Amino acid sequence: MADAELKSKVEELIAGNPVLLFMKGTPEAPRCGFSMRVVQVLDTMDVEYGAIDVLPALQPLREVTAEIADWQTFPQLYVNGELLGGADIVEEMFESGELAEALGVEQPAAAPQAAPPAQSPPLQIE
Amino acid sequence: MIEAALPGAEVEVVDETGAGDHLRATVRATQFEGLSRIDQHRLVKAAVRARFDDGQIHALSVKTQPR
Repeated sequence: MADAELKSKVEELIAGNPVLLFMKGTPEAPRCGFSMRVVQVLDTMDVEYGAIDVLPALQPLREVTAEIADWQTFPQLYVNGELLGGADIVEEMFESGELAEALGVEQPAAAPQAAPPAQSPPLQIE
Repeated sequence: MIEAALPGAEVEVVDETGAGDHLRATVRATQFEGLSRIDQHRLVKAAVRARFDDGQIHALSVKTQPR
């Protein structure tokens, strides 16, 4: 059962921000590769978006979004009050032009800038 | 598991790290017809939720296509 107060705050944020990203870390310093991928896509679009770092309240926010949108993993991108998806869906929709359509902007000519990975690859112990 | 939840689905799973806990699944199913991407993903995630809950899977990338 999600915290009712947190849930109503989240609902207010989703209603008050046409483009809202729940992510791990911040757009300037993403703390997860999936969150970074969504930030990269959004940064290539000419669109303002709100971003919320979920890490300080990860489990309570999982419970809230499970109730609001039947989705528990982050990142989550909401457009006009609806959950569009996480990194996989956002990238697919970017490539197909559906994201630009959902955001009401022109499809950018350039592909998202690939930044170096934030984490080292898994270390192998032989 | 995905095939059991979506009868007739074509499922391809790639083990991205070799450890079996970071997977990439491509799923083609007639059940996706007419659904938004998020609803297609919800069906797949619901099918594998138990494996997340018991910790066998940590990350799953999903790509869905109607067929």
